Amino acid sequence: MVAILRFLDLFKNIFQGLGIDYGGMRKILEIKLLLDSRRVSSIIQEEASKDKERNYFYRSLILYFFFGIMMVAFLSLGSNYLFQMALIFGLFMFFMLTTLISDYSSVLLDLRDKDIILSKPINNKTLNAAKVIHITIYTSLITLAMMGPSLLFGLIRRGPVFFLIFLIQIILINLFLIVVTGLLYLAILRFFDGERLRDIINYVQIGLTIAITIGYQLVGRVFEIKALQAIEFLPKWWSIILPPIWFAAPFELILNGNTSTSILLNSLMALVIPFLAIISYIKLMPSFESSLQKLSALGGYRKEERFSNKLAKIVCKDKQERIFYKFTNNMVKNEREFKLRVYPSIGFGLVFPLIMLFNYSRGRNLTDIANSKGYFTLYFTAIYLPNLLQFLACSANYKGAWIYRIMPIGDYEPILKGAVKSIFINLFTPVVLINSIIYLILFDFKILDQLLIVYLNLILSTLLTFRIFKKDLPFSRAFHTIQRRNGFLKILLVMMGIGLLAAIHYQANKIKFGPYILMALQLITIIMASKFIFKVQLDA
Amino acid sequence: MDSIISIKGLRKSYGSKEVLKGIDLEVKRGEVIGYIGPNGAGKSTTVKIILGLISDFEGEVNILGYNIRDEDISYKSRVGYVPETADIYENLTAREYLTFIGELYGMDYDLADKKAHRLMELFGIGHVYDSRISSFSKGMKQKTLIISALLNDPDILFLDEPLTGIDANSVMVFKELLELLAQEGKTIFYSSHIMDVVEKVSSRIVLINDGRIVADGNIEELKTRSMGSSLENIFNQLTGFSDHENIARDIVNVIKGVE
Repeated sequence: MVAILRFLDLFKNIFQGLGIDYGGMRKILEIKLLLDSRRVSSIIQEEASKDKERNYFYRSLILYFFFGIMMVAFLSLGSNYLFQMALIFGLFMFFMLTTLISDYSSVLLDLRDKDIILSKPINNKTLNAAKVIHITIYTSLITLAMMGPSLLFGLIRRGPVFFLIFLIQIILINLFLIVVTGLLYLAILRFFDGERLRDIINYVQIGLTIAITIGYQLVGRVFEIKALQAIEFLPKWWSIILPPIWFAAPFELILNGNTSTSILLNSLMALVIPFLAIISYIKLMPSFESSLQKLSALGGYRKEERFSNKLAKIVCKDKQERIFYKFTNNMVKNEREFKLRVYPSIGFGLVFPLIMLFNYSRGRNLTDIANSKGYFTLYFTAIYLPNLLQFLACSANYKGAWIYRIMPIGDYEPILKGAVKSIFINLFTPVVLINSIIYLILFDFKILDQLLIVYLNLILSTLLTFRIFKKDLPFSRAFHTIQRRNGFLKILLVMMGIGLLAAIHYQANKIKFGPYILMALQLITIIMASKFIFKVQLDA
Repeated sequence: MDSIISIKGLRKSYGSKEVLKGIDLEVKRGEVIGYIGPNGAGKSTTVKIILGLISDFEGEVNILGYNIRDEDISYKSRVGYVPETADIYENLTAREYLTFIGELYGMDYDLADKKAHRLMELFGIGHVYDSRISSFSKGMKQKTLIISALLNDPDILFLDEPLTGIDANSVMVFKELLELLAQEGKTIFYSSHIMDVVEKVSSRIVLINDGRIVADGNIEELKTRSMGSSLENIFNQLTGFSDHENIARDIVNVIKGVE
């Protein structure tokens, strides 16, 4: 990072010529970069722990670089520039935009800057220059990591003209994206409030994490899909609304000499739109600054929900238990950090059974699949059960847990039971239901009883996971303390338990009336187990 | 049984460091105790022990006739607590948080909801009842905490620096409120560093220093025992602090860069 500041020093005179207090700007940047090195990027937050101070940004750069290398593969597919480049730019824009929104929102939206910095003898111009350069540094580094391999490959294999077009397009894309992010915030703040904006940022972060997780699964398969090479891609009139195609069009125009109207039009867009966006951004900047104040304004109005209250009455007979069921509902619905940690794994739980089914069904036709035992892959939904139960103990406001101690609560049973019921019903059951519907369509209604057995086994799995894991009060621990609380062995034990339940299910199917006997046994076990399993002491 | 709270020979150590070195205290119904002392004297520790937040201690603590070591925790539904740090599940709305607390105290949802909303209105923050607490200002959070402590009509209130961030008008309401509550026979345990407020609201001052009670009595008694003309003076004297002028002068010198 010092190298970057040294590099900036070369342009000291230019900055000063623009009326910027260079010394002040450098100082601000230095602090900002230091802060960033301690901030965890959402791309790698899974492994993040607070024990050691590491530069998380560099680690996420390595990940981006890995994606960059994968992208070279697209570039080596045939010579349909339009398709290749649109694909590469599309991916790049997706990652860049989501990164900008999720990780650099703090730069764009920082209100503390005003309080801390502008109260000192630093002018607004200097602070804004520091912000712009701050974002530029990061977008440049990420761009280099992601596009560097492709740029190099392009230079060697496609020559300097290709390289030059590529480079210019990347710069235009970055300008475009930064402005789009700004405009997006502007629009959201115009119509909503700060709380809603944070919600949207939160969902983008979740989307990014899901995309990366699933991306990992698919990356290896990209090379198998030979079909990509054969694609004869011609732009239609509607491609004018797809930004990646604008930026890919100049390649076709210059290198292949294609002067069709749609190529010309798209190329024009690539040049004009970024500049239009910048002009409108500068014009709207003052109103952005004033909307920014809304960030700290009140918001997040929410009415209570009658339906979930009714459901609560059905699933929790005990009053204390119901209180904690509702409490858990409200907490998981609103807590952004909880969502950020848990929702991506929910997305994974949603697709993982289907990925496994897809693997299992290779080389079979639909009737084969419908008559197979492929529905057993529904058990893979449980892949996120450990994550879910583990994070139930966490909250960003974990210090609020003092209330458990001063309240007249005799034992922990209703707390734990209500909380576990809440997440099982609200965060696990819907995923199972959605997948069940897909499976019912694929396998026909004859597997309905089988799916019921799977569901009952998943309830048992939840109880089992609760039993094996350490017991904590809900929302009473900081997120970073939970990482190693239930070690790998416990998770393995959970997975083995679920496997065993699935195996019993498989064997029961071979016996006459087996499935029905099993169902009865499952019900009895669930009722018995839930009576004593929550009567526990908390773990230290 | 006259005492609402009775503490006998209370000792507490963190490792080798003894924080409370034998506290004896009897609190009667309707008293407003100003519980004061320098930072780290053991004020919060005492309160936390009485509330059952800290369980390993020596000595005897009885509250409302219950020994706090007993399993019976029903006394907790007659106690309200405003902690010093406003730690709260901020991502809930005020409605969600307050009804949750109310229901934990054994109240009916609708009653808790109605009461909480009305109290929010009276404290001048009724319009944010359905907003997330995370969007509240410091004073609004503090008011929410105070409401959560009053919701169940407790017999004993523990207030630890309850006025942080609250505006002057609400402070006046709050002081008046304490007086009325005391008249109703509520017992209030008030700890704070703001001496003039303590002096005004308390019917009895308990000063703790280095884990011991060093003064106990109403403000007039303490004054006539010629300990000082104001609570602030008494505080300085009893905690053995008379250096403030020298320290202030040194600070000014450092700021001016004289040294």
